Amino acid sequence: MSAAETPTAAAPHPYVISPGPHVRVEESTAQIMWWVNGALAPAAIWGVIVFGPNALAVVLAAIAGALAAEWAVARALERRVTLHDGSAVCTGLLLAMTLPPAVPWWTAALGSIFAIVFGKAIFGGLGYNLFNPALIGRAFMLATFPVAMTAGWIAPQPWFAVPVDAITTATPLAVLREQGLPQALQLAASPGGPYAGLALGLRPGSIGEVSVLLIALGAGALLARRIITLTIPLSIFSGVALTTAFSGALTLHLLSGGLWLGAFFMATDYVTSPVTRNGKIVFGLIIGALTGIIRLYGGYPEGICYAILLANTLVPALNTWFRPRRTMLAGTPS
Amino acid sequence: MTPQLVEITSFGRGGIHPPTHKELTARSPIEDLPWPGEVWLPLVQHLGEPAVPIVKKGDTVARGQMIAEGGATGVPIHASVPGKIKFIDKRPHPTLVTCPTLVIRHTDETDELAFEEDPAWRALDAAETLARIQQAGIVGLGGAAFPTHRKLMLPKGVTVDTFVLNGAECEPYLTADHRLMMLRPREILEGALIMARLVGARRLLIGIEADKSDVIAGFRDAAADTPLDGISFDVRVCEVRYPQGAERQLITALTGRVVPPRSLPSAVGVIVQNVATAQAVHDAVRFRRPLIDRIMTVTGPGIVTPRNVRAPLGALLQDIVAFCGGAREETTRLIAGGPMMGRALPRLDLPLIKGMNGLVLLTGRGPFEEGYGPCIQCGRCLDACPLGLEPNQVSIFVEAGRTLETDPFGTLDCYECGSCTYVCPSERPLLQFMQVAKSALRRASDLRIVK
Repeated sequence: MSAAETPTAAAPHPYVISPGPHVRVEESTAQIMWWVNGALAPAAIWGVIVFGPNALAVVLAAIAGALAAEWAVARALERRVTLHDGSAVCTGLLLAMTLPPAVPWWTAALGSIFAIVFGKAIFGGLGYNLFNPALIGRAFMLATFPVAMTAGWIAPQPWFAVPVDAITTATPLAVLREQGLPQALQLAASPGGPYAGLALGLRPGSIGEVSVLLIALGAGALLARRIITLTIPLSIFSGVALTTAFSGALTLHLLSGGLWLGAFFMATDYVTSPVTRNGKIVFGLIIGALTGIIRLYGGYPEGICYAILLANTLVPALNTWFRPRRTMLAGTPS
Repeated sequence: MTPQLVEITSFGRGGIHPPTHKELTARSPIEDLPWPGEVWLPLVQHLGEPAVPIVKKGDTVARGQMIAEGGATGVPIHASVPGKIKFIDKRPHPTLVTCPTLVIRHTDETDELAFEEDPAWRALDAAETLARIQQAGIVGLGGAAFPTHRKLMLPKGVTVDTFVLNGAECEPYLTADHRLMMLRPREILEGALIMARLVGARRLLIGIEADKSDVIAGFRDAAADTPLDGISFDVRVCEVRYPQGAERQLITALTGRVVPPRSLPSAVGVIVQNVATAQAVHDAVRFRRPLIDRIMTVTGPGIVTPRNVRAPLGALLQDIVAFCGGAREETTRLIAGGPMMGRALPRLDLPLIKGMNGLVLLTGRGPFEEGYGPCIQCGRCLDACPLGLEPNQVSIFVEAGRTLETDPFGTLDCYECGSCTYVCPSERPLLQFMQVAKSALRRASDLRIVK
């Protein structure tokens, strides 16, 4: 028998030996991240339309800064470069959406570089960070560029309107703090009334937070795909409602500031939120309550950023305190 | 057709809904494999001691003849085709790499032994019934291959009131049990009744997933003219949800009882057997017919003609695949069993063994071939785990080299259904982390490092 004439049994196709299970869901981490980016897009685009070219420059600079920092860190630490997974874009985009529209674009780039390096990379990269990187970036900017970050608010001046010089103004929450509810509502005045103005985003505020409606649209897409659940956002709204119920401006509190952006897109970040349902409820209530307390009694008109960062520190503890319920009850005859 | 309202039951937490792909073979009748040229019968096809050959090279054997005796904890092996013993030597084995194997070359010199009905089969005492089940070489045909007679011998002090017949077939792709239930409801019912009487159960429940509700009528008809000996009988329809067919989950779905971790189902008064095992038990007790062939689903995107096949044990997978039109060029993976808990095989020159209920030929990239990402704490594995364990934590601790600290996350309770790994968006091999942690914890507890 020649070598070529081996029995059929000895020449089978070499199949891949891989551990089970041999089938898996289609959805990958990268797909989830890109869905989040896509869900953020409508509100971000609307912010650029409402606030003009500088807002666009801020968004692009923040994303570019995040990508550059991610690439540089991966090269420096000899890690796999994972720019395609969408997580750096997400950090940059989220940071930009929390910024006042008139901040210089280069401060946004610095903020997102700080977010990636000190918010994520030094903890060990994606999955290991304790704090939401975008909010670390925002906190850094608030400390470093306090004037731009607190006076960078401008009135809506859509590209389609007659170009005028940017009118520096205050946000509804700041006005509420200094002058009272009627004045605050005036800022959001629109043909449909002040609350319609808040829903549409025709009011002073951060680039991506102004339109509650478009944030809800993006959040709806993530909810429909079950990328996020309502547990954390609803708990946050409950916490805000509980603490601001007697302030007389409950609706304004619920519809303004970065509450919706924070509740649906930042507090729901997988890495920096608890894994179990009960943990998520407590996490959300804490964020909501802290937001209300900071707004009413703290030093800043807006509180969601620091509320989330503070609650982030509790996540490891919440994961330990609220474990999944084990299926281990002793059997009982039915 | 009149619409019927059926109550659908299910287990508690966790579980996943992978695409079932059962349409490939759900309507394919069971077809007999033509006699293969030779069969390889490994001496280990069960959990327990290897069987001991009682024939030698050159012997002529009839189909059904015992060719190896079972040891104290094992079961015997029988000739599955008529022919001559070619040799007894080490051969490749689907799970053991290699195993001493009896190779029979098929010839027409002999035929099948006659298996006549024993008129007294319903009145046998327990010892004789158990002996026939053992002598027939029957093992759990759902995949575990635990000797059936041993599962039916209850330890002292343990009583069982419910016998559960597992027809859930929750693994994607597989339809062998479904087709068997369509074809042989009577034999399955009789086999289950034999086992229920043996363990003293007063209630017999068949659990099927809702996509197999066309078998209900057959079972109801069979029960109408079968002496039930006062044992109550019911078919329960369960949600199509993996791992519905896992013993613990099926018991909860059917009886509401929860088997405590690391306990056997008998701890809550239940014994579970697969439907194919019940049919084999019926044949063994009534006809003294040994287990010499099995029904399997040959399916997946890599096979030319997906089929349900009845093949003699020991038939080579290459012959079975050839009977199903052959493997497509793009086949990359060959899975023995279902794609969730089955095992990847390297080659087709391997024998069909007792526990192999399917052969799934998959195409495309397999899991983990491109590595895996970090845990992003999405919590999906926690939602998928039917036991409420924490695969995310186990994986992170194992990666950090802190394997012995994983006990609080329930590592030792894991029965490796793979649901966590199925849902992980970072493609992390959570099940394998779990296995690493489990074996380390067991070794440590053997050494009394961890109490």
